[in-house]
Amino acid sequence: MGGQPLYLEPRLEPRLRSLLDAPALLHTLTDALGSPLNMVVPDQLADNLQQFRSVYGTHHLSGQVYFAHKANRSSALLRRLAATDAGVDVASLAELQHALGAGLTPDRIAATGPKNPEFLWLAARTSVTVSLDTRGELEQLATLVRKHALPRVRILLRLSGFEASGVRVLSRRSRFGTAVGESGPLLEDVERHADVVDLVGVAYHLDTTSLTEKATALEGCLRVLEECRSRGLRPRAVDIGGGFGVNYLAHGGQWEQYTTGLTEAVLGSRPPLTYGGHGYGLRNEAGTLRGTLGLYPAHRPVAGARYLDELLSHPAASLGGRPLAALLLEHLYDLHTEPGRALLDQCGLTLTKVLEVRGQESGGPLLVRLAAKADDVALEEHGVLMDPVVVPRHPPGTGADVGAGPDAGAEPVAVHLFGSLCLESDLITRRTVFLPRRPEPGDLLAFANTAGYCMDFHATRAQHQPSARKVAAWQEGDTWRWCLDDQYWPTTPVGGAQ
Amino acid sequence: MRYDSITDAIGNTPLVRIDPAVHGLRNIDLYAKLELLNPFGSVKDRAAWNMARPHLSAAAEGSGQVVELSSGNTAKALAVLAGMHGLTFKSVTNRMRIPEIKDLLLLLGAEIEELPGQSECLDPTATDDPLTLFHRTLSEPDSTYLHTDQYFNPRNTEAHFTGTGPEIVKDLDGRAPNWFIACVGTAGSSTGVARALREHDPAVRVAGLVAAKSDFIPGIRTIDEAHEVGLFDPGTYDSIETVSADEAIEGMLTLNRRCGILAGPTGGAAYFGAVRQLRAVDEELAGEGSSDRQSAVFIVCDRVESYLSYVRQRRPDLFGRPRRRNSPADLSDAEIRTAPAIGVTDAQAWIATGEPLVVDLRSPYAYAALHIDGSVNIVEELFEELLHGGLPFSRNRPVLLACPVGEKSARYAALLTRMGHPDVRSLTGGIIAWRDAGAPLVRD
Ligand SMILES: Cc1ncc(COP(=O)(O)O)c(C=O)c1O
Repeated sequence: MGGQPLYLEPRLEPRLRSLLDAPALLHTLTDALGSPLNMVVPDQLADNLQQFRSVYGTHHLSGQVYFAHKANRSSALLRRLAATDAGVDVASLAELQHALGAGLTPDRIAATGPKNPEFLWLAARTSVTVSLDTRGELEQLATLVRKHALPRVRILLRLSGFEASGVRVLSRRSRFGTAVGESGPLLEDVERHADVVDLVGVAYHLDTTSLTEKATALEGCLRVLEECRSRGLRPRAVDIGGGFGVNYLAHGGQWEQYTTGLTEAVLGSRPPLTYGGHGYGLRNEAGTLRGTLGLYPAHRPVAGARYLDELLSHPAASLGGRPLAALLLEHLYDLHTEPGRALLDQCGLTLTKVLEVRGQESGGPLLVRLAAKADDVALEEHGVLMDPVVVPRHPPGTGADVGAGPDAGAEPVAVHLFGSLCLESDLITRRTVFLPRRPEPGDLLAFANTAGYCMDFHATRAQHQPSARKVAAWQEGDTWRWCLDDQYWPTTPVGGAQ
Repeated sequence: MRYDSITDAIGNTPLVRIDPAVHGLRNIDLYAKLELLNPFGSVKDRAAWNMARPHLSAAAEGSGQVVELSSGNTAKALAVLAGMHGLTFKSVTNRMRIPEIKDLLLLLGAEIEELPGQSECLDPTATDDPLTLFHRTLSEPDSTYLHTDQYFNPRNTEAHFTGTGPEIVKDLDGRAPNWFIACVGTAGSSTGVARALREHDPAVRVAGLVAAKSDFIPGIRTIDEAHEVGLFDPGTYDSIETVSADEAIEGMLTLNRRCGILAGPTGGAAYFGAVRQLRAVDEELAGEGSSDRQSAVFIVCDRVESYLSYVRQRRPDLFGRPRRRNSPADLSDAEIRTAPAIGVTDAQAWIATGEPLVVDLRSPYAYAALHIDGSVNIVEELFEELLHGGLPFSRNRPVLLACPVGEKSARYAALLTRMGHPDVRSLTGGIIAWRDAGAPLVRD
């Protein structure tokens, strides 16, 4: 196999671990509902919310945690969320309808993103808070409210293009929001439309893993809010968007070994670690490594609620060096956040059935074909590298193997995972995956965490293959219960149709 | 020593023997090449000058700008050199994580552009990373940039091949040391010196030091990052070892405190790596009973002063100061819980009749935005400082303390009570409760 196996074991918190410890259920479900199958665990979402809430608590901050709906289409997750005190941030008409239908009341919904007239109308009609990207959008909203005699709308102004003092940060340009430099005319418009809109505050959403960029943006927002107050407006909140990240892997050491292995493979000093020598953005130019590693930093010690905590503890360099949380609190501002990915951490997994396991004449990695398309799992699309967990059809020590010890004779294998489309490109992962034992047809490969975030972005119905079904699962005592995603309501877990 | 230009003071740095009582090696003489004594403060002065010198006057004709991807020392030297020749300097990097260096560069007139963090919602097919875009602007036809390109420019290595290396040989009376140990950043100094020493004596053994992968040591690279350096050739080094940030700081402290060498973390890393490497050799030599002594040289790249915040973050214990009098940290939970407090409604009445001094402990920015009419603003840090010296106001004047949620004010109310103030109270629920109760806040 060429050297030590390079594992990238997924991080599994107790709930997902317990679900994976119920192989009979997982096989029953995929036998009945097909492969791939997405399972979501709504209760985890409520726990993740609590972690964010406790960060608010330590900093004495009030404000709402809005789940970024675009991260997942599941009704079960949304309805479970409706049973908490969280909010939802919706980015389309359908998402808004879904949120209202799931039981989220308008005071707990925020509309963001690019908006068409229908979306704006329903948002204004139902009195959800609207985050506006541009002066044009404000104009459109004001006209709509007047024309249809709608109630006064609570708005946030989404800003972008924040400048750090002293040091220019080359930012990846955001298509969203108004540049802070243009906030003057925008605020004049707000004042002009004071009869139809009520300015709640300002917002930003930066697509970056960098804490300092977000801290810079938050400082910028505080300055604009001060400008609002000096104009006599009475803003109350800052919405700092999402992007707090997820830690996908159990061991930092494995991630370090793997990425070092990858650079060595690209430089030719070890055998390839990918199908066809793909370098994930890295290339070898005359013995020097060039390019950028196009991968999600799969092991992230600071992610999710901890990331928010670090951001809030970050000193505001341009405002006297006190922590950002202290400044928000002292200015009496509410903090709104819109975590998507981070709230979905550990909220689901994708099950795929092994159809075929084939050795190669050259003795290279085994070729494993799964009953799923690459798009169903979408790890490559998101640049997330993480091993699947093998859920054997016949657990070792049962049936044919009776008498043999647990996993007796199991040897690590290197495999390439293919999807079920007749396309060369349908690789579930482009990298060589190492598994602790050889999978057999009928076994399941479980991709932890993907049903939380990845699944809905890319799933298609190519080749008349159905896209994955979705079920919601929860624990009652020691047993796992389940229902179709769409059948789940917060009343379901406590005893079905009562 | 008289010079016509500061650039003449680059190079010819001292080679100082480390006291054997400090490193404990009995058969090896260990020397530090003190590159921290270059005029702009680091080993990079040599490379910067050698790379920029041939182009500076031509660049000065137009309105050129010197640009480099540098997180610190090269940028510092280039900023000075550019300024001396009427040019501006820009550094582009995402590795500049040391605030003191950033500030120093700004002070020297440098422009700093930071590369953004990675995208959270990654598009793995995107090819236009900001660094690629940067290189593209550099190679546009009418570009007036002087890009010194330290990671690929052979003149970086050459500066050490013709300067640093021969100086070491000269100071060792014409002999190359048996060992040479250096940290790998651009690989310029280690490669250039190694080449010069080996020309003298092919038997010289060269050890390269890189940062442990999960660690950050300013100025040096991890093994993966070293592969991105055009000047880096693994064949140069007989061994490549990793050093952790903790070890670098440990080595730095030894140099600082016991040798009088005010080295920064990479000098510390080089010292630590050198002693670790040589200890085994030393024992072998002792075992052989040979009377031949060996010698070893490591490079001290730069000075400690710029890294205070870096060290403080990792080793706060090194900055521990003695406890002060009258500190809120001395209070017991019970004292804080029973601190005198007053609710919003009662506080409003008290302000109207008892004329307490209202002290707002929030930051001046927050205070300026909205506050209780007639209050004074003493920001918490300052207030704590004042109390170390004793009560800052008369015992005869009642005091109402206010902070955002009433937590900090409770601590100070307890502390002031303990210090003997008879009538101090904390505003329960703080300014937030005040606002929520609809009580007036002003900006004046
Ligand atoms: C406006 C807005 N808020 C929140 C999010 C969610 O970010 P994340 O899922 O990374 O937490 C997004 C993601 O695209 C977004 O566009």
